Amino acid sequence: MKFGFDEYVHLSSPLHRWDARYKLVGLMALIFAFAFVRDLRMLPAMLLATAVAYSLSRLPPSFLFTRLRYPSLFVVVVVLLLPFLSGQTTLVSLGPIDVRQEGLIAAILIATRFLCILTVGLVLFGTASFLRTVEAMHALRVPDILTDMALLAYRYMFEIGDYLHRMEAAMRLRGFRERLVSIDGLRTLAWLGGSILVRSYERSEWVYKAMILRGYGEGEHGRGEFQANRGDVIAFVGALVVAGAFIAAEYLI
Amino acid sequence: MPAEMVELPDDPVLTVSGLCFSYPDQPDVLKDVSLRVMPGEHIGLIGPNGAGKTTLFLIICGLLEATAGEVVVMGKPVASRQFRPDVGLVFQNPDDQLFCPSVYDDVAFGLRNMKLPRDEVEARAAQALSTVGCAGLAARPVHHLSEGEKRMVSIAGVLAMHPQLILYDEPSANLDIRSRRRLIRLLQGSAETMIVASHDLELLLEVCSRVVLIDKGRVIADGDSRQIMGDDRLMEEHGQEKPHSLVPHLKPH
Amino acid sequence: MHIPDGLLPAQVWATGYAATVPVAWYSLRRIRKAGDPREHIPKASLLTAAFFVVSWIHIPVPPTSVHLVLNGLLGAILGFYAFPAILIGLFFQAVMFQHGGLTTLGVNAIIMGVPALLAHYVFRLRNFKGEASRLKTGIFGFIAGFFALAASVAIFVPLLIFFIPSGFDVATERAAVFALALAHVPLMFIEGVFTAAVAMFLQRVRPGLLVAV
Repeated sequence: MKFGFDEYVHLSSPLHRWDARYKLVGLMALIFAFAFVRDLRMLPAMLLATAVAYSLSRLPPSFLFTRLRYPSLFVVVVVLLLPFLSGQTTLVSLGPIDVRQEGLIAAILIATRFLCILTVGLVLFGTASFLRTVEAMHALRVPDILTDMALLAYRYMFEIGDYLHRMEAAMRLRGFRERLVSIDGLRTLAWLGGSILVRSYERSEWVYKAMILRGYGEGEHGRGEFQANRGDVIAFVGALVVAGAFIAAEYLI
Repeated sequence: MPAEMVELPDDPVLTVSGLCFSYPDQPDVLKDVSLRVMPGEHIGLIGPNGAGKTTLFLIICGLLEATAGEVVVMGKPVASRQFRPDVGLVFQNPDDQLFCPSVYDDVAFGLRNMKLPRDEVEARAAQALSTVGCAGLAARPVHHLSEGEKRMVSIAGVLAMHPQLILYDEPSANLDIRSRRRLIRLLQGSAETMIVASHDLELLLEVCSRVVLIDKGRVIADGDSRQIMGDDRLMEEHGQEKPHSLVPHLKPH
Repeated sequence: MHIPDGLLPAQVWATGYAATVPVAWYSLRRIRKAGDPREHIPKASLLTAAFFVVSWIHIPVPPTSVHLVLNGLLGAILGFYAFPAILIGLFFQAVMFQHGGLTTLGVNAIIMGVPALLAHYVFRLRNFKGEASRLKTGIFGFIAGFFALAASVAIFVPLLIFFIPSGFDVATERAAVFALALAHVPLMFIEGVFTAAVAMFLQRVRPGLLVAV
């Protein structure tokens, strides 16, 4: 399946080299700071910080466009409606429809926050393999149960997805038409869902055996070695300072 | 050869005596199975589906508990659910066994649970991957591997633990010709004691000098592979066929 | 049922996280108390992946098609593992598909996860007064699926309407909540029917799955 996020994890850039733990906390702090912003005057700074992060990551622009295309649809709808529905102060009249100031401001805020958060998110998760990211979370004391589950689910998701596609193809070849609505059709899809669950469950029994045979539960979770250098810590502090600046500015200005 | 593989030549690696197994309220899956395997032997295990081959393997590994009888590996009785890296099992389906996101992590999994120091983990993993011809795949995500590569990596994960006895469950299933040939060469060249359960009788002829025929949970025959597999009547009686290369040819080719 | 990043004010998404932490903590505690988690982690993990994939199945609802939420079924089958499963599922969606949100992970986890946990108890009622027959499994499967989506909608819709700046007065907003919630009722029926059908299928084919973890 193609959605693997590993396309650009092998590039070399300051962001790729940043210790995954510090990167995770630093960039998430920035993302949360962006989500705090309510003042229009902060937006240019947000966009600048985002652009800097993205260019430092050396991820190609095409990556950003492809990844942002579909998620943006919902926000575009909200953003297109708000200036006409929300608020009392009319900025401009386009015939019978008024463009309202509050709505326009809200729309710009929402759109910019969305864009900046998602872009920094892409930088955070697109510059390290999923495995490395989960190892970083584990090193940051995220509970074993969650990280173990995340890794196993990630590992098998692709196979299970392939199975779904094969089954859908097989069903289509035997005349099942997805556009028809019927109780029968719904039941067939339910059986498809059920068989995916059963197969996964049965596979999990073998996976458990395989894990036990190779000592699952014996060793302590000593996964993922990290070694941070001074540059990692400096970048981390820098990210925290920038995040802090946005939050402070929100409350002080 | 690693130090721990040197042992007295007349001590068996595996002794199975009077093994019986059944699920509660179900007919016997294994009836009075006895077997003795000496160091360095390559033994083939043949029989129709449902004969009990996989069940026997699971009991030898300690994943299932026999209802009667005893299994002793390297002089120590096998206890249920005990971590014994000296016995390795290569599963029928490599996807059941390759549960880590990356190749390296999967091969290293057992080694880490054996609490080996980090450089030894790295050395053994590298050596195992190179033995199976997959040295360049260490960083690859598992779901990007071909069937043949998955099979080899799953074997590497077991080899890395330096087992005294390796059980192979249908190792050549789903392999293309080239991968199958690589597998045969690997098995032929390996010094470890092994039992190979397979429907691929030609492979067994090339790899194993001794064969055990199981049907309906009982050992039917145990001896020289060419003799047993060349016995038309015996093979057909137990759902097998004489391998092609043992069939006398009227026209030489 | 996912709220994307950038939409909600800070108090709301922060509260979402504040609520998620105790629910997650409690779920993990109950999981650990039920025995060695390592035995169930492979099952729970593969089922998490399976649910993730199953939610991609298109269910035709003219003129379009929808993807099911299935948090009722998830809760019915996974019990307390449902909350970690949903956290992981939401995390995957945010990271790999940019669907849902990172700052709104907490809010979305509460929207989907709390109803899932409640659905587990609803589904268990099928054992009340004797062995769970296929009919009872189907009925309680329907109720669990319907109810879980209803509960999610009951949290999601008001959050959306009340916290996105709209400039409408409270009465209009309330009407909007009502209307949007009502629009989801056909989906609740579809989720209920689908959940019932899967539960009955599992009862027939692999009953052990229904009391899996």
